[in-house]
Amino acid sequence: MDSVKIVNLTKRFGENTVLSHFDESFHEGEFVTLLGPSGCGKTTMLRILAGFEKPTEGEVYIGGVLVTGPKTFVPPEKRRIGMVFQSYAVWPHMNVWQNVAYPLQIQKLSKDETNQKVARALEMTHLTQYACRTPDSLSGGQQQRVALARALVGSPSLLLLDEPLSNLDAKLRESMRYEIKEIQQALGMTVVYVTHDRTEAMAMSDRILLINGGVVQQSGTPREIYNRPVNPFVADFLGRVDFFRGEIRNGRVFFEEMGGQSIPCKEERTGPADVAVRPENVVLRDDGPIEGKIESLFYLGDVTDLRVRAGDALIRLTAPGSLIDEVKPGHPVRLDFKNCLYFDKGTASEEALGIKT
Amino acid sequence: MKRTDRLPGAKSKAPLITKIALALLFFAGAALLFMGQRGREDFSRSEYSTEDAYRTIYALSRHTDALWENVFKGDFASLGEEEKDLRALCASLASSLWDRQAEGGASRISDIFEKEDSEDVCKLLYPAYLVNPPKKINPSNRKLIVSVPEKEQREFRLRLLRCALDDTLPLPEEAAAAVGDSTGSDRQALLMLSYFISANKDAVGEDVQAFKQSVRAKGAQLTAFEEIARGKFNPFRQFVVTHASAVMLLGAMTMADVILLFAFMLSEKLWKFDVKWLLMLLVVDFLVFFQLLPLLVMLWRVFSVDGAFSFDNLKSIYTDKINLEALKNTLIAAFSTMVLGTLIAFPLAFLVGRTNLYGKKLFRTLFVLTYMVPPYVGAMAWLRLLNPNVGSVNVLLRGIFSLGDTPGPLNVYTLPGLVWVLTTFYYPYAFITISRAMEKMDPSLEEASRVSGASPFMTVLKVTLPMMTPSLAAGALLVFVAAASCYGIPSIVGIPGSVHTVTTRIVEYGQVRIDDATALSVFLLAVSLIFLLLSDLIPAKKKYITVSGKSVTPTVVDLRAWRVPLTAAVGLFGVLVALVPFATILTTSLKTDIGKSVFTAGNFTFDNWKAAFTDRETPMCLTNSLVYAAVAATVGMVFSCTMGYLNVRTQLKGRSIPAFLIALGSGTPSVVIALSLIMTMTGNFGVDIHDTATILIVAYMIKYMMMGMRTVVSAMSQIHVSLEESSRISGAGWFTTMRRVTVPLIFPSVAAGWFLIFIPSFYELSMTTMLKSAATKTVGFKLYEYWTVTSQQMSCTLAFGILLIVVLLNLLLSRLTKGRFSI
Repeated sequence: MDSVKIVNLTKRFGENTVLSHFDESFHEGEFVTLLGPSGCGKTTMLRILAGFEKPTEGEVYIGGVLVTGPKTFVPPEKRRIGMVFQSYAVWPHMNVWQNVAYPLQIQKLSKDETNQKVARALEMTHLTQYACRTPDSLSGGQQQRVALARALVGSPSLLLLDEPLSNLDAKLRESMRYEIKEIQQALGMTVVYVTHDRTEAMAMSDRILLINGGVVQQSGTPREIYNRPVNPFVADFLGRVDFFRGEIRNGRVFFEEMGGQSIPCKEERTGPADVAVRPENVVLRDDGPIEGKIESLFYLGDVTDLRVRAGDALIRLTAPGSLIDEVKPGHPVRLDFKNCLYFDKGTASEEALGIKT
Repeated sequence: MKRTDRLPGAKSKAPLITKIALALLFFAGAALLFMGQRGREDFSRSEYSTEDAYRTIYALSRHTDALWENVFKGDFASLGEEEKDLRALCASLASSLWDRQAEGGASRISDIFEKEDSEDVCKLLYPAYLVNPPKKINPSNRKLIVSVPEKEQREFRLRLLRCALDDTLPLPEEAAAAVGDSTGSDRQALLMLSYFISANKDAVGEDVQAFKQSVRAKGAQLTAFEEIARGKFNPFRQFVVTHASAVMLLGAMTMADVILLFAFMLSEKLWKFDVKWLLMLLVVDFLVFFQLLPLLVMLWRVFSVDGAFSFDNLKSIYTDKINLEALKNTLIAAFSTMVLGTLIAFPLAFLVGRTNLYGKKLFRTLFVLTYMVPPYVGAMAWLRLLNPNVGSVNVLLRGIFSLGDTPGPLNVYTLPGLVWVLTTFYYPYAFITISRAMEKMDPSLEEASRVSGASPFMTVLKVTLPMMTPSLAAGALLVFVAAASCYGIPSIVGIPGSVHTVTTRIVEYGQVRIDDATALSVFLLAVSLIFLLLSDLIPAKKKYITVSGKSVTPTVVDLRAWRVPLTAAVGLFGVLVALVPFATILTTSLKTDIGKSVFTAGNFTFDNWKAAFTDRETPMCLTNSLVYAAVAATVGMVFSCTMGYLNVRTQLKGRSIPAFLIALGSGTPSVVIALSLIMTMTGNFGVDIHDTATILIVAYMIKYMMMGMRTVVSAMSQIHVSLEESSRISGAGWFTTMRRVTVPLIFPSVAAGWFLIFIPSFYELSMTTMLKSAATKTVGFKLYEYWTVTSQQMSCTLAFGILLIVVLLNLLLSRLTKGRFSI
């Protein structure tokens, strides 16, 4: 059975359409990430699931029950879901234990049961020793765990997370990422996770819904959408990528900006196309079909970032860190592109990618 | 809760129903207005002098109707054929009675008979006989009539009626004495009277007395009897006539509310009634009626002469010499106070806020302290210090400079004296505004100046000061408005030396020369509002002050060698403006002879304290003050919380209207609020609360509610909405969320807001002076009475008592809010 089912959902704020014809279902135990740039509608979708917003059209089912529809609305408190807010929303007038026990007290659970469940939630989030502390004496990461413990304590079958890690520093963010994933796997609940951070999405999700302009651009496992993006926006959002104007004919693709240099391609279509190349798929090879000159080098420790000038085009590529000792700007190189992605001509305009200049 | 109807797609007839409901409600309002107007006209056309008459006529009418139904009707019917004659008899008795009481009475009776059902004639005769019997029956004879046993009464009554119709029949023995040997119409009248007495043994004395008192004129009485006979009185009509203004008010308010609702829905493009509007409109209605309407009425009175627009009334401001003088004094005093106050406040704020002065925290508390002291207490203290003859400072100066026994050298009863006292009390307004801005200023702005090579002093001059100008100006304007609209200080310092100000003139004219008072009020109101508007606009226009989210620690300027001398100077100032006056109040309250030092042998006494607290009125005044202030604070906070919630947490259309009105109320000078309430709350607009506690409470609320709302709003906006949402998602409903999350979080602010309304209401003087009655005196007024009538020592005693209570309340507030708030 589907844990969450969203049917033809549209949300407008006045004239402004935030979500349009959203049709998705998440199955039980799935970790789904709503990924997209800010303002794409992902948070609105999450708030509709929670019941803090009402859609303009469409229906939402949670656990097979209609919770939002034209004639039905189940308020947030009746949906029995867990949610972690971006700002943590840990109540400052209650201590850690009280914060976590709150949902159980609302359910009027017995004292023993409450104690037991709170203890388990605190243990799971490594907060046991902080039970009597007040939130203002906790660090951001600890407050984050309190919010997580509070969301988990009622054993919800659905957990909503609204950019929970965005206020934490980089190291903590990485460790929390795995902790959340571990807890989800241990408890087996469905998680809907909202973020604009692609690494976070890649690391944690079973499935990513990439949203832009209120529309799901692509839905799939991290590998699917990284390796087979359906449009330039998806390709661009999920990682570093360069777009070149090209023309496919006779089993080769000719690059306009590189003075007509070409590489072999297996694409069936012919004619003009926008070609996307990820820097890690560009390799330096003495017999590479593209020739150019190194324009600049950036040493990053484990790798070296290179910019290679070929005609008018500037090609980024990632090379081993040691390369910095071997070459200098101006050095001629030969390149090859692996796993190129082909899109219709003109779809990779700056406008389509949402790049503001 | 219906939650589905906001979902479009489900098309319903709701918009149409809402529109129809709105229209119906509008017409209901219009109908009420119309009915009230009719009632008012009815009343003015009637011959009754008071609206009370309607109440008593109605009571009598109900009584008569009941008797007719239960007794007369049955008795008359039992007479059979003779019933007709009896009616004719009643008619003739009535016309003779009428003729005796008023010109043309007989013809009025025949009119009734021609037009109305003739059964009414008995209902006509009964109240007339009851109120104004043509013949008297003395009490012993009355007792005889009443003594007829229960069972025989009906028989007895029928015999009386038959005797009245046929003078040959023998009289029943119980009535014989009452009738005596009278004959003809006198006999008939006495028999009918006996009949009525027998039929109605239950006393209706109270009704009759009330009727006689409220309907004195004979002609009006006849009209009343006619109306009773016709049964024209129903409770509704009685209510409409006696409460015509209230009905009109209800109608007008309903119409206005419907128009507002219509506008809200129109701009929302959603024809759905939101219950929150009901809450908001309740608050709006209250404010519109008690605050806006009085001000508009006042404006109307000033700008209209015989219904036409005119500036003539304003002439009294500048043609009357005293008024012109008062005007000049007010402007000069307020302006000087503003300049002096700001000149004092800026360096103080800088030294306390931004330097390494010693004892900064103590000084801050000291300077803010004056904020919670009633201004008149300060005035009293300075009077004791600067009185030209016996003022302690003058005595001291004369001693130092051996000036002999001449008065002076300083005299508080002058314009400069007034300015000085005003300054010591209102510079904190500027101090607080400027300090706040200094604390919020981003220190990196100054650091950038230092890095660029400027010395600390140059930085203050070139960066700090220019950036402070908006707050400086805003603070200065606040001081101006506070000084101009202050009554307590000029009433104590100014009046004895004939230094009149606009406020003292307004209070003095009060009810006597109300046109002069209103003209001055409008002037004062205009000045206050313009200046407050300016102080709001300046910072908005020049958004210099950058407030960063993280807490900033402004850089501290090292005073170096100046540290000690400056600390001493600030300390001296603190002692001068805060400690000396309060000490003076205390010592004065412990003196027998006010002219001598408290340490002079035999001059120390507790008698004033004993006297003040054994005064019969003191407990009453204290209770009054506490109760009124508590009610004002509680109702005020209910309003504040409602509006705070609607303003911060909802997108409700029109939610800024009450906020605006509340701000307007706090900007209106107290004396103007009081005067406008006096003019409108005496019943001519449907509400009569003059001389009651209510009018005082209403005035306090209008003036001080802003303080409460501001605290609630700032508290609400600091609670991130996700704190409430996370409670909802945890399974708690709206109410539980309120109870367990929102309320505990904002409780300290609500408590603080409550005290911020309570404390100034508790010791309020200016509005109380104008609105109190003998039964609603408060401590503030009692103190003023002591000062002007009894003795200054008594007054100082009460003043010190008030100070103690205020300090205690402040400690309580600090405790309740865990130190987060105090004044």
